[in-house]
Amino acid sequence: MIDLLERLHASLPPLAMLQLLPLIGALILLRLGERPLALVIGHVVPLAELGLALHVYRVLDVHNPSFQFVEHLHLLGPLAYHAGADGVTVLFVVLTALTIALLPFYVRVRGLEDQTRLLALLLAIEALMMSMLVTLDLLWFTLASGIELALAGYLVGNWSNSPQKDLAMLRFFQFQGVGLVMLLAGALIIAWTHRDATGHDWTFDLQVLAGQPISPHIGAVAFFLLFYGLGIRTPIFPFHGWLPTVAQHGNMAIAPTLLLGVKMGVYGLVRFVLPILPQVATTWAPYVTGFAAAGVFYAALLAFQQNNLRLLIAFAVVSHTSLVVIGIFSLDAIAFQGGVLLAANFGFAVTAMMLMTGLVHRRTRTTNLARLGGLFDRIPLLALTFLVAGLAIVAMPGTPGFDAAHLVLEAGIHRFGALTTVAAALGNVVAAGFLLWAFQRAFLAPPPATRTALVETATPMELAIAGALVVVMLFAGFHMEPLLAMVDPPLRLLALRFGDG
Amino acid sequence: MAELPLLSWLLLIYPLGALLMWLAPRALPPRALALAIGGLGVGMSLLIVGGFDAAVPGFQMRESADWIPTLNIRYAVGVDGLSVLFLPATALLFLGVILASWNGTRTLPRLYFTLLLLLAGAITGVFCALDTILFFLFWELTLIPIYFLVSLWGVGPHRSYAATKYTLIMFAGGVPLLFGFLILAFNHAAYTGAGVPAGLGFDLPALLATPMSTRLQVAVFVLLLLGFAVKTPVFPVHTWLPLLAMEAPVAVVALLAGLKLGAYGLIRFAVPLAPEAAHSLHWLLAALGVTGLVFGAVAALAQTNLRTMLAYAGLSHVGLVLLGIAAFNLQGIQGAVLQLLNFTLVAGGAFLATSFLRRRLGSTDIANMGGAARSMPLLASFFLAFGLAGMGVPGTSGFPAELLILVATLQTHPGAGLAALFAMVLSAAYFLDLYRRAFFGPATSPAVIEALDLRPRELLILLVFVGLILGFGLFPAALLEVIESSAGAWAAKLAHAAP
Repeated sequence: MIDLLERLHASLPPLAMLQLLPLIGALILLRLGERPLALVIGHVVPLAELGLALHVYRVLDVHNPSFQFVEHLHLLGPLAYHAGADGVTVLFVVLTALTIALLPFYVRVRGLEDQTRLLALLLAIEALMMSMLVTLDLLWFTLASGIELALAGYLVGNWSNSPQKDLAMLRFFQFQGVGLVMLLAGALIIAWTHRDATGHDWTFDLQVLAGQPISPHIGAVAFFLLFYGLGIRTPIFPFHGWLPTVAQHGNMAIAPTLLLGVKMGVYGLVRFVLPILPQVATTWAPYVTGFAAAGVFYAALLAFQQNNLRLLIAFAVVSHTSLVVIGIFSLDAIAFQGGVLLAANFGFAVTAMMLMTGLVHRRTRTTNLARLGGLFDRIPLLALTFLVAGLAIVAMPGTPGFDAAHLVLEAGIHRFGALTTVAAALGNVVAAGFLLWAFQRAFLAPPPATRTALVETATPMELAIAGALVVVMLFAGFHMEPLLAMVDPPLRLLALRFGDG
Repeated sequence: MAELPLLSWLLLIYPLGALLMWLAPRALPPRALALAIGGLGVGMSLLIVGGFDAAVPGFQMRESADWIPTLNIRYAVGVDGLSVLFLPATALLFLGVILASWNGTRTLPRLYFTLLLLLAGAITGVFCALDTILFFLFWELTLIPIYFLVSLWGVGPHRSYAATKYTLIMFAGGVPLLFGFLILAFNHAAYTGAGVPAGLGFDLPALLATPMSTRLQVAVFVLLLLGFAVKTPVFPVHTWLPLLAMEAPVAVVALLAGLKLGAYGLIRFAVPLAPEAAHSLHWLLAALGVTGLVFGAVAALAQTNLRTMLAYAGLSHVGLVLLGIAAFNLQGIQGAVLQLLNFTLVAGGAFLATSFLRRRLGSTDIANMGGAARSMPLLASFFLAFGLAGMGVPGTSGFPAELLILVATLQTHPGAGLAALFAMVLSAAYFLDLYRRAFFGPATSPAVIEALDLRPRELLILLVFVGLILGFGLFPAALLEVIESSAGAWAAKLAHAAP
């Protein structure tokens, strides 16, 4: 297998493969339709993609801060295909591939309808996500983001058994549409200014744009547009309006996992916004941080009030994403490392929580906390997986959240002093509060009187999914060094733009 | 012998045992496996004490390995005279708890004993970690088993609430602790001039050797004090202890009351890492100690339940430990460590005895007891022995500890010393009064009349605990010898920092 990969690597561009493999898989699935072979392919292709992602991780030179495996191709006018990967890219690529490799198994366990079409959709989304991750072209990123969101919206509105699923889909498209327009406008402004300043052709290439400072006035407008656009998709408080409806009435675990499990908005900030607009980001950092600090608590308070596990997790996401933003906008090397790793950790932990919630729903047909309870005795390992994910979110030592969070705290102390940072850390304690309480109500509380039948114990496939999630979380938690070493050089390079080095 | 990484092995056997619990054939009862691991833990910790060289003041049996080199976080363990005795104390108490839970755990026994073993591993880790982040890891890891033990096997109606409250308070207490450690790490980076993150320091011996400005020291000391006070617990952040004493499984309360991790943290980290600040804030430590001492004693007077009485008595006794620390001299620190070890035997033993009582009567409220000594003379006498040791009666291990602390305190904080003497009188009052009402008088409740006295297994546990209490009461030198040189170095460092 490794030999084969080796030979493939020699002959094929790995980043293009990352994008093409799931795309081809999706097309084959659509072609095969309802044939049983389709399901097999639907399971195998994401696993192969994970293998490919791990291969890229293996051959990546972690000490080299610049982009590797660079692929370049001129297409139509200003739109160019320019792909490259550094440690941050690979971290997100592996995270994406890992998350999506688990989903087909979840789909099978849940016995969702129309599985072939769903798996094809998953693969198509994976291809687009990979494309967004490896591209070095802002326009390409924006366009891929648009198509990806359209497909994700389709997923939100179908494969949901809520009577209000249309509302969920509508809200999603309204918000994401606005976000995309902002993103596109921001990208155009930057490229236009650049063309005016240099007299060259239109270009959206990251390395070209980042090489040329932009006047602070126009830069501020562009920053606002890009930040707003990415903020909606992440979602960052106060741009999270679509999330509660989508979480409650949309597709249960799969769409949220794709949207929240890989924090593409955070990746966009680190990959494009910060390198292109370092001065503006420095100017606006205090405001961004102020909003984020408010967001930590606002969302945590809302999470406390929820009676629905899905809504509770949604607000938990908003709360902890604010922590990531505080981390990144501390704007030095440690802050970037902490923020990026925290984003990856939160993403994976939320994936675990969503999938476990889905498996609970399979048994109880509800995620209303008042009607859950009494599940620990029947599905202890699924409950523990949920808890480990919760602990990763509150940055318990031994989970990947801890090292990431303490990097963020270190950077925060450096930049904003102890007070903001203490607030952020207390936000974590509040998160521990609502997550533990939710855990208690969902799993440990006495079962509701309305439930008469015994809850089904976990099937081997469910145990395998839960086990994989826990093993990855604990392994990464106790063995953080490779991840730190991988993201360190490129982020140190980024920090140089902010005078840290 | 000394070359074997004994500490790592000790740390490893508990989680390995927990894992084995799930791999072993179903026919093997979990409690037997837990007992074997617990016994192994006692044996290994005694081996460690045996291999320990009491004449050397510094850390021994050190092991170190890279963990997260980018951030200079290491796996570093070691023991000195102040910590080494806590290892057998922990192992012994766990063995007692495993035996005490022998028949009482009907639901999910496998999970129960797994969690107990994980907890034992984490607490052992707290006592040997020499890297602040590693320490923090073990510190926080203790919370998860406790959370489950309390919420799943708790005996009170509000066990879920108690478990969540405890965990959240401890999480909140972890925040200042982590901040304190981060400030220390930053100071190390500034001192070495290596910058961040290359110069970040988390290694305890290195941090002890790093000078720090008095202002930063005050910040670090206050943060660490806050974090450790919550866990100890120190008045006024003690509210979780009486609650847990009522709601948690009694055997688990024995662990929480018997192992005062917070006080150990003060001795190990807070005071030596910020000696000047500790010196200038000695009044704060002493004041916290006296308040806890008196408040705990008065509150214990008002209790009608043996478990809450023991909880408040523990709060009172830990005030004495704070006074011993606040004296910053040899007798004070020796007394404090001795008192902490004494706790493991006395508070741990008393709660175990209470758990036996509760199993028979279904309650430990005196309303349901009266005359218990008639049907259970053995249990009543053992309980009395624990009570007397708690009061510091000569001949018990409580006596040398309290004497040392009192001598030290009367020299440095005479007022506090007098208050401590008063509180000791109170301790006789609350214990003897409640004891009389619970165990003497006419037996009215049928449950009390029909109750059986101690079974052989229970008798064995209590015999070992009381035997050790009497043994170390009569020959405290055996313990003091181990503690002395490290305690001397500890006190010398503080004397050096005195203004």
